[in-house]
Amino acid sequence: MTTATTLPARHLPGDPSIWVFVLGDMVIFGCYFAAYLFDRGHDHELFLQSQQHLSQGVGAINTLILLTSSLFVALSTQAARAADLRAASGLLTLGGACGAGFVLLKSYEWYSKLSAGLTISSNAFFMHYYMMTSVHFFHVLLGLVILVILRRELQGSAPPRMQLLETGATYWHMVDFLWIIIFALVYLMR
Amino acid sequence: MTQLRRNVKLDQLICWWSIPIFYQFFGLIFGYLTKIMGPPIPGPNLTLEGITAFTLGNARHMQIGIVLLAISLGFASMGTGVIVVQMRRMSGPGPVLAYCYLACGAAAALPGCLFCGLLFAVSVFRPDRDPQIIAVLYEMGFVGFIGCLGCFATQYLVFALAIFLDRRAIFPKWLGYMTLWNLVTELIAAPVWIFRSGPYAWNGLISFYLGVLIFVVWIVCLITWLKKAIKNQPLEEFDPACTGTLLV
Repeated sequence: MTTATTLPARHLPGDPSIWVFVLGDMVIFGCYFAAYLFDRGHDHELFLQSQQHLSQGVGAINTLILLTSSLFVALSTQAARAADLRAASGLLTLGGACGAGFVLLKSYEWYSKLSAGLTISSNAFFMHYYMMTSVHFFHVLLGLVILVILRRELQGSAPPRMQLLETGATYWHMVDFLWIIIFALVYLMR
Repeated sequence: MTQLRRNVKLDQLICWWSIPIFYQFFGLIFGYLTKIMGPPIPGPNLTLEGITAFTLGNARHMQIGIVLLAISLGFASMGTGVIVVQMRRMSGPGPVLAYCYLACGAAAALPGCLFCGLLFAVSVFRPDRDPQIIAVLYEMGFVGFIGCLGCFATQYLVFALAIFLDRRAIFPKWLGYMTLWNLVTELIAAPVWIFRSGPYAWNGLISFYLGVLIFVVWIVCLITWLKKAIKNQPLEEFDPACTGTLLV
């Protein structure tokens, strides 16, 4: 009774409705990015100077952590498809641990910026920085809750519902994808 | 028999109609008469003269709008009522989420409509008041109107959660996900308490225009699929004694 409920080999991953959310959330974040680029265009110098205060290293490590986390979640989904539920559950735990690492590192980064006197009302750059990263942070927290739900699904006595696993994984990849854009726009773009 | 079919759902259909009618009133009051929602919505960076001109320059329309608001505000409860009835039909979530939805709906009308109208009503009530006081009422009106998010955010959350847990598919799953967009737009409007200009101020691209756009798309979908839910409700769910009375 440990075989997973199977889905056709080629299909849209997860519940098709999750893509309504993914696309909508992309539009919302798209507006953020547009507003950021618009303000940046008006005061390029200020944005470049303020960007120097960010820790590129911490941002890069967080990007790696989140990418690794996404990899673990993808491998976990594959393992679940192959009905290897022990491996799937372990990989999911690793993915969640990486997500928790992101949360800790991000909190540390905010703490160090705030102690240096760089707050949300310092200037337009930091307004965008804190807003974008905190809305993304909220998405990560929600994602961690979803990963816990998926882990329970994998460890339950009934065969796991593949569609639920794929839906949760799709959300987690979206969170990862959004971070990559934020990292490129806020930390890297000159 | 067709007579019976229509009659058992009549109360729900009347309440359903109250929703589009309420939003017609809402648009008329906040968009046209009081101009509180513009377009364009006046911002936090108006000068003292600008604020007085906005509030007092439009005093007559403002008063008509607020009288209409005072009369029609309770309409919102009819819409909440019929949504709660449909939520109670769900199988999976117990009644608790429907009660949360009801409580949030009851509380949300105060910060979401009435509080703002009340403050503008007071500012035009005595036009010879000190402009500084008018400015305070103006700011309280707007930050309250755009910034009181909690009731709405929780209402969206419990509604989405109920749709996800429901095994009878009273509402489609994608409507649940769409409801989560609204939750996100409520959260990202939180900085209206901090910023006086830019995209996160109460008249900003993100805090206001994005939120309104997504809300309009969502409410149109909700109204449409709520009608379908009422239409698809099987007659067996109605009390036979009650339908018997209607037959007489």
